[in-house]
Amino acid sequence: MNNLKSLLLGLSFFSLITITAQQKYTLSGTITEENSNETLIGVTIAFPELRTGVTTNEYGFYSITLPEGEYQVLVSYLGFKEIVQNIALDKDTKIDFKLTEEAEQLEEVVVTENVEKMDIRKPQMSVNTLSVSTIKKIPVILGEADVIKSILLLPGVTNAGEGASGFNVRGGAVDQNLILLDEAIIFNSSHLFGFFSVFNPDAIKDIKLYKGGIPARYGGRVSSVLDIFQKEGNSKELKVNGGIGAVASRLLVEGPIKKDKAAFLIGGRASYAHLFLPLFDVDNTAYFFDLNTKLNYKLNANNNIFLSGYFGRDVFGINDSFVNTYGNTVANFRWNHLFSDKLFSNLSLIYSDYYYGLKLDFVGFNWNSGIRNFNVKYDLKHYMNDKLQINYGLNNIYYQFNPGKIEPSNLESGILEEQLTQKYANEFAAYIDVEHRVTENLSLGYGLRFSNFIRLGQDELNIYENDNPVLFDPFLLIYQEAEPIEVINPGRGGSLATFSNFEPRASLAYTFNSKSSVKASYTRLAQYLHLLSNTSSPTPLDVWTPSGPFVEPQLLDQYALGYFRNINDGEYSIESEVFYKDIQNRIDYIDGANLIANDAIEQVILNGEARAYGLEFLLRKNEGRFQGWLAYTLSKSEQRTPGRPAFEDNGRSNLESGINLGQWYNTPYDKTHDVSLFASYELNKKWSFNTNFVYQTGQPTNYPVGQFEFQGLTIPYFGLRNEERLPDYHRIDVSATLTPKKNSNRKVQGEWIFSIYNLYNRRNAASINFRRNQDTGVNEAIRTSIFGVVPAVTYNFKF
Amino acid sequence: MKRLVYILIATFSFLACEDVIEIETPSEPPRLSVDALIRIQDSSAITNIQVKVRLTSSFFEPTPVANLEQITVTNLDASTDMAGNVMVLIEEEPGSGIYEKTVDNNLLTEGRLLLSINYEDDIYVARTEYVPTVPIASLAQGTETLFSGDETEIIVSFNDDAERDDFYIFDFDFNEYLVTEDEFYQGQTFEFSYFYDNELNAGDEVAINILGADEGFYNYMNQLIVQSGSDQGPFQTPSATVRGNIINASNIDNEEVFDNVGQPENFVLGYFAVVQQFSRTITIE
Repeated sequence: MNNLKSLLLGLSFFSLITITAQQKYTLSGTITEENSNETLIGVTIAFPELRTGVTTNEYGFYSITLPEGEYQVLVSYLGFKEIVQNIALDKDTKIDFKLTEEAEQLEEVVVTENVEKMDIRKPQMSVNTLSVSTIKKIPVILGEADVIKSILLLPGVTNAGEGASGFNVRGGAVDQNLILLDEAIIFNSSHLFGFFSVFNPDAIKDIKLYKGGIPARYGGRVSSVLDIFQKEGNSKELKVNGGIGAVASRLLVEGPIKKDKAAFLIGGRASYAHLFLPLFDVDNTAYFFDLNTKLNYKLNANNNIFLSGYFGRDVFGINDSFVNTYGNTVANFRWNHLFSDKLFSNLSLIYSDYYYGLKLDFVGFNWNSGIRNFNVKYDLKHYMNDKLQINYGLNNIYYQFNPGKIEPSNLESGILEEQLTQKYANEFAAYIDVEHRVTENLSLGYGLRFSNFIRLGQDELNIYENDNPVLFDPFLLIYQEAEPIEVINPGRGGSLATFSNFEPRASLAYTFNSKSSVKASYTRLAQYLHLLSNTSSPTPLDVWTPSGPFVEPQLLDQYALGYFRNINDGEYSIESEVFYKDIQNRIDYIDGANLIANDAIEQVILNGEARAYGLEFLLRKNEGRFQGWLAYTLSKSEQRTPGRPAFEDNGRSNLESGINLGQWYNTPYDKTHDVSLFASYELNKKWSFNTNFVYQTGQPTNYPVGQFEFQGLTIPYFGLRNEERLPDYHRIDVSATLTPKKNSNRKVQGEWIFSIYNLYNRRNAASINFRRNQDTGVNEAIRTSIFGVVPAVTYNFKF
Repeated sequence: MKRLVYILIATFSFLACEDVIEIETPSEPPRLSVDALIRIQDSSAITNIQVKVRLTSSFFEPTPVANLEQITVTNLDASTDMAGNVMVLIEEEPGSGIYEKTVDNNLLTEGRLLLSINYEDDIYVARTEYVPTVPIASLAQGTETLFSGDETEIIVSFNDDAERDDFYIFDFDFNEYLVTEDEFYQGQTFEFSYFYDNELNAGDEVAINILGADEGFYNYMNQLIVQSGSDQGPFQTPSATVRGNIINASNIDNEEVFDNVGQPENFVLGYFAVVQQFSRTITIE
């Protein structure tokens, strides 16, 4: 491993000192949408004569350094009219291109010059981008456009079914996804347990999902990165858009504070409490809301500042005796600064938290828990020349974990106030990441991230005999909680544990011709935070816990290999990949572990391992009236927790059987086959139609191998974990969008979306439970299914 | 605290719909299952030890009874001259699988107790000790409801013993159980509401029992309650065989085999516990 590291570092230094002989100049600028000045991410700026190009970064900035000369430059972005311009590059030049949407010009012949698609040349693989316009087309439950539900249609991405929160990438757990909203970490992405995600689609510009080959600038989660960018706000004119849907309504206002200089955006979304859950009577509430805000100010050509915020909450209440509140808060200040036309920098100061609160008056207590973090990031992007870009930066995150505080909810309550020991940690990272075009056909990406995690001191810490908080009973073959022999107060000053990891990343793209390429990547990632969740899909009250004296960081090695091809000049594209990943230190829970309000979580967890492998295939049609994709994934995801090494005691070695007898078992998110189809057809300016089809192998579960009775209870008992499966999951959704004709000459533009979720009313099982019917005394298998066929109408407007 | 999850699940199950389906479950050879929870009431000086022994069956088949060669409960700390420190249980009604013996409470409330079973050449053993508890201080009927609007609320209160860490098991009749521990109400008067889903009518008498438990038995009952039928929806925890405290000791010779690690299939289901119980009844209005 050390050799690899020095090789990587050596390569990057070698590149840095390459001296260029010919006179070169830099073309740079920011690319925006003409009507709103909204910056555009991932726009291609291509130079066909040189067969080279560059794409804009997260802030719409691009920079490329080329030999002096006259060139044709093509600026292209999916869904926008292409700009073709001739430039004479005889000095450093700044051009801010402005693109216009081509939505209205469908009948026009799309320019079909031989623009080389950059994505097949870039070493970056295992990444999917979805624009918000695609997300809004995808038919969803109750017509509520949804970021998370959309990515479930991509290869390698699944979830635990309807109403399950989060998503699983390449057989990884929900807590292994890094979800960034304008660079801030989001700890819970779901509203209403998972029926909807917390991202208001109107406020979002773009999303990018990295499933592998994760660049060194990201770290902290081992499965994926979901990078979500909020819109900046329209600095040209005041715009309002919104929608009225079956569940929630949205309103978003954006406009200039100072024309072309500063803009604001404020968006809100709220559900209608009683309409969605009509079963509750008037005393009860169930609703959620989101608030997105953003300000941007262009100080001058070299400095931009952004302020963004998010606040969202879910509230359930029954008779005042049960009130459940949870959600995320994010605040974020960013400063873009151009040191030169080649060196772009961004400083981010971010605060984010997740809060969970519960009032349970009939037991007499209030409960709240949460996690908060303060995050400082400094990222630089150095555009050396057309062949070399170097990104480097620093990141420091300070975390505060509140596993829970209980307090009496009324005067009569017998509950004593108690704060479970709060935990603190600091995560530091430094990275360097090189994008290097070695020859016309070969591009490399290589980088290194160094991460350091310090579990800081806390008020109380349990000490166990032989440092062993989990005991094994060799006769009953069960793990049991050990009693601490002492509770010490390490104090807040010191540290309890420190972990450091070098995380090399490497990727390669070899282009055979302008149409196809092969890519390969290796990623190592460390994850220091763990969501304590023992259920197939996390619940809102699951708490995050840091690595420390008893919890090791998760370490991932992922290898991926892929073949990419553009067909018919990018009209179609094929992406196919195979991957293998291996995770050390995946924590697992002893049978019967109680994770809630557990102040000594180390007593119920053991370190295990996880692995996943598979094949992904994605065929996309990118242009024309008919667009969409077909995704297929064949994969396996497993974990195991073998018994800990035997130790000698009185001349006998003490063996352990491990969790699940130490055998590999399917993770709850192991889906052998996963097929997703999304198709969208624009019939004319008035009507367009969209459809999804999803088929997945049923989720792993347990069927009882027998039953017994105890004190009148009939108890099914189970064999090894997750050996059976629920029935296969499949459904079709359709939607139709009507844009009335009279729109074109009106100020207010509206559209109607009619959707039907689960068209053929398939009763997909969310779970199967086995129990005795108390009335008949007969044992039954009970299928729980969430949604049958659900029609919905949504009205969207903008002016 | 575990109840939080149930409540989430209950909320959730409102959005879902349930139906009974036909499913084929796997099966394995029958095993012994032993229900040896012995409840001791202060109201009587003697206790009828009653142990129900059956064989397991696949989920949709009836469970047959087991015919034991011998079953005894021994008080290891009672002086050997004390009559009946080895209590031999008899199947009073042949073929019932219920083995019983009536003994003085003090034979069970002090000292280490050993359950020993001989069945088809195998020897099963379990050890336990009496666990005391506290009486129910009051029962009252409340008027609140939870989800469906027609639950019956019963408000239960008891005074926790400040001197020890307590685990409680409530037997609410109708095969409904609840577990709680005093971590957050040490030494306090603790009051909570229990909601009966099934329709209770005015005039119905409901018996509510509070049982003591040690941590092991508390954990065991907690798992049984979950696995015996609460609908976990998508928040399903990995199901596993809930192993009790009864050991198959047949193959442990303490010369070459010291444990059961090499024979994970060699286990028996059930639990042996001796606990104090207090009962109270309430008439539904």
